[in-house]
Amino acid sequence: MSLSPSTSKMLSLKSSDGKVLEVEEHVAVLCETIKSLVEDGCADSPIPLANVDGATLGNVMEWCKKHADQKASADDLEDWDAEFVERDQGELYHLIMAANYLNIKGLLDLICQKVADMIKGKHPEKIREIFNIENDFTPEQQEQIRKDNSWAFE
Amino acid sequence: MGQSSSTAAALPVSNRRETSLSRRFPTKSTATIYPMQPDEEGEVYENVVECPDFTSFIPDECLACIFQLLNSGDRKRCSLVCRRWFGVEGQSRQRLSLNAQSEILPQLPSLFSRFDSVTKLALRCDRSSVSIDDDSLILISIRCSNLIRLKLRGCRELTDVGMATFAKNCKGLKKFSCGSCTFGAKGMNAVLDHCSSLEELSVKRLRGINDITTAAEQIGPGVAAASLKTISLKELYNGQSFGPLIIGSKKLKTLKLFRCLGDWDKVLEMIGNGNSNLVEVHLERLQVSDVGLSALSNCSELEILHIVRTPECTNLGLVSVAEHCKLLRKLHIDGWRTNRIGDDGLMAVAKHCPNLQELVLIGVNPTSSSLTELASRCRHLERLALCGSETIGDAAILSIAAKCAALRKLCIKGCPITDDGMEALAWGFPNLVKVKVKKCRGVTGEVADSLRSSRGSLIVNLDVGEGELLDASGSDVGAQENGGEFPPPSVITEVSDADASSSSNGRAALFKGKFGFFAGRSLVACTFRRWASSNSSSNSNS
Repeated sequence: MSLSPSTSKMLSLKSSDGKVLEVEEHVAVLCETIKSLVEDGCADSPIPLANVDGATLGNVMEWCKKHADQKASADDLEDWDAEFVERDQGELYHLIMAANYLNIKGLLDLICQKVADMIKGKHPEKIREIFNIENDFTPEQQEQIRKDNSWAFE
Repeated sequence: MGQSSSTAAALPVSNRRETSLSRRFPTKSTATIYPMQPDEEGEVYENVVECPDFTSFIPDECLACIFQLLNSGDRKRCSLVCRRWFGVEGQSRQRLSLNAQSEILPQLPSLFSRFDSVTKLALRCDRSSVSIDDDSLILISIRCSNLIRLKLRGCRELTDVGMATFAKNCKGLKKFSCGSCTFGAKGMNAVLDHCSSLEELSVKRLRGINDITTAAEQIGPGVAAASLKTISLKELYNGQSFGPLIIGSKKLKTLKLFRCLGDWDKVLEMIGNGNSNLVEVHLERLQVSDVGLSALSNCSELEILHIVRTPECTNLGLVSVAEHCKLLRKLHIDGWRTNRIGDDGLMAVAKHCPNLQELVLIGVNPTSSSLTELASRCRHLERLALCGSETIGDAAILSIAAKCAALRKLCIKGCPITDDGMEALAWGFPNLVKVKVKKCRGVTGEVADSLRSSRGSLIVNLDVGEGELLDASGSDVGAQENGGEFPPPSVITEVSDADASSSSNGRAALFKGKFGFFAGRSLVACTFRRWASSNSSSNSNS
C-alpha cells in the first residue's frame, strides 16, 4: 500500500466524544496503531478511537501533520515542538495518554521530555507541589530511602 | 457519548494501560469514574480538587519513560516523591552506579530488591576506601543475573574467586570493563570462559597479572573470543598476556592499546598473520616498531588507524599500511616531533587511500608537497586537523585551499601560519563549515571578523589569546569515536613536551616528557637506548 503524500487519501477518525476528523492518510499513519489498521485494510469506515477525545485528537493530528511535512527542517520542527508543548498539565496528560494509545513514539518522547524538564533539578517537595502529589511515605520510610540513595552515584 | 465496548474493541491495541489504570483508580476518592473517558475524569477531578495529580493516572510505562530522561540525581529525588514513583523508578532503573565501599554489603539486599531490573551496573570505589570484596560481588551476581554490562573501578578487594563465581552467574555479560582492580589472569579467564556473549572488553591497570611467561598467566581465548568485537587495554604491565585472546578473537573489529609496557610487535605480527577483520586500531605510547605496523597492513579491512606517540614507527611502516589498507577512512598520527613520519608516509596515504575522510596530524612536519598530494587525491577528505607542526605555514595552507573540495572542518593549532594564510579561507575550501584556529601566534582577531563577513555561513572559532601551551589535540575535528571509556588524547597530552617545540634547546625537556611514562619502570633502559641511538639520524629523514 502506498503511503506517499501524492497519492494520500483521506481517513476518518472518530473521537471518544463522537467527533469525526478527516485526516490525510500519510499524516494519520504516523500513529503506528492507525498504520497497522491501514496496512491490514481495516481503515475504511470511520476509525473509532475510544480513548481520545476530540480536542486531544485535533492536537495530535496537528502534530502529525507538521511532522509528516517533508519540507520542514529539523530546526524548524524543534522550534515548533517547543511551542507545541507549552500547555497546562491537563492537556499534557491527555497528549501522553493519546500518544501512548495511538503509539506515536515521537510525540510520546516529546511530551515525556517536557514533563522531565518540569522535574529536573527539583527537590521532592517541589515536585509534589508542582504535580499536586500526596506524600504517602512515613518519615521512617523516607529516611530509609535517603540512606539507600546515598549509595548510588549521581 | 461515543463510548461503547464495541468501539473500544475495534482497535486491536494492548490493554495493558487500561488494566494499569483501573488498578489504580479505586485508590482514588472518585473510584466510580470510568477510566476510558479522560475528558470526564478531568472534569470530575476539577470539581473535587483544584488540580488533580495527573501523574497518578498515567500508566507505569509512561512514568518510566519520563524517568528514563532524567539523570541519576533527579531519579533519586523522584524516588522520594511518593510510593508509586518510588516503585516505578526502582523497577525501571536499568543503569545503576554504586559506591562500592565494603560498608555497602548489608544494604545490598534492599538495594537490589528495589532496583530489580538493573542490567548495566557500575561499581566504583575511591582510592582511600576499602572496596567491596568477593562476598558482595557474588551476592550482586545472584541478584542481577541478567547483567549485560559491568564496570569495576578501584575494587581492589576482589579476587579471582569472586570473579569466577560472578562470571558463572552472569553469563549474559556483553560489556565488561575494569580499572584499578587487583584480581589476576584466573579471574579474567573466568569471565572469558563463561560469558559467551561478551562483545566489549576494557582493562585498565589490572594489577594481578604477573609473569606472562607461564602458561597459567596467559589470558584467553575462552568462549568469549567467538563474540568479542572490541578490546581496549590501558596501562598494563603485562598486557601481552592478552595476546592469545586478541589473536583468538576472530570477530574483533576494534583494538585499542594505550600505554601498555613492553614490546607489542610480536602480538601485532600474530594479528597480521591471522585473517584479521580489524577495522579500527589505536596504538598510543607503545613500544611498536615498523615491524608491528607493517604487520597491521595485512588487515585489509582497516578503516581507522591512530598512531599516537609510538616513537619507533617511521614512514616505512606507514607506507606499508597505506599500500595495503586501501579502505582507510580515518588516520590520526601524533609524531611526537620525532620527524620519523613525514612526507614519504603521507605521500603513500595520498596515493593509496582514496577513501580518507579524516586526517589528524599532530607534531608531524610535512611539507607542502605531501599536503598538496593529500588534498588533490583524497577527494573525500572532510575533516583535517594540523597541530603543533613547524612546517605548516601560509604556503602550505595556500597550496591546499583550492584542492580540498570536500573539506568541512578544519582545525589548526600551534602552527606558524599568519593572517595571510588565513585569507585562503575566504576563497578556498568551498565546502568548509567550521574552522578552528588556536595558538597560532601569527593570526589576529581581525582576520576572524573579515572571514565572518565574507563567509557568513562559516563557523569561525579563533583563539588569539596569549596561550603559550599547546594542546596537541585533534578532538575538534569531531567524530573521533573515542570509546567513551577513555579520554581523548588531549587529556593525556603533557605540557612539558609541548613547550619544547618552540626551542631546540628544549631537547632535554622533550626527552624527559616523552619517557616520563617509561621512567621508573624496569623497561626504561632498553626503550630509551633504542630510541636514543636512532634519534641522531631521525632528523635527517625529512
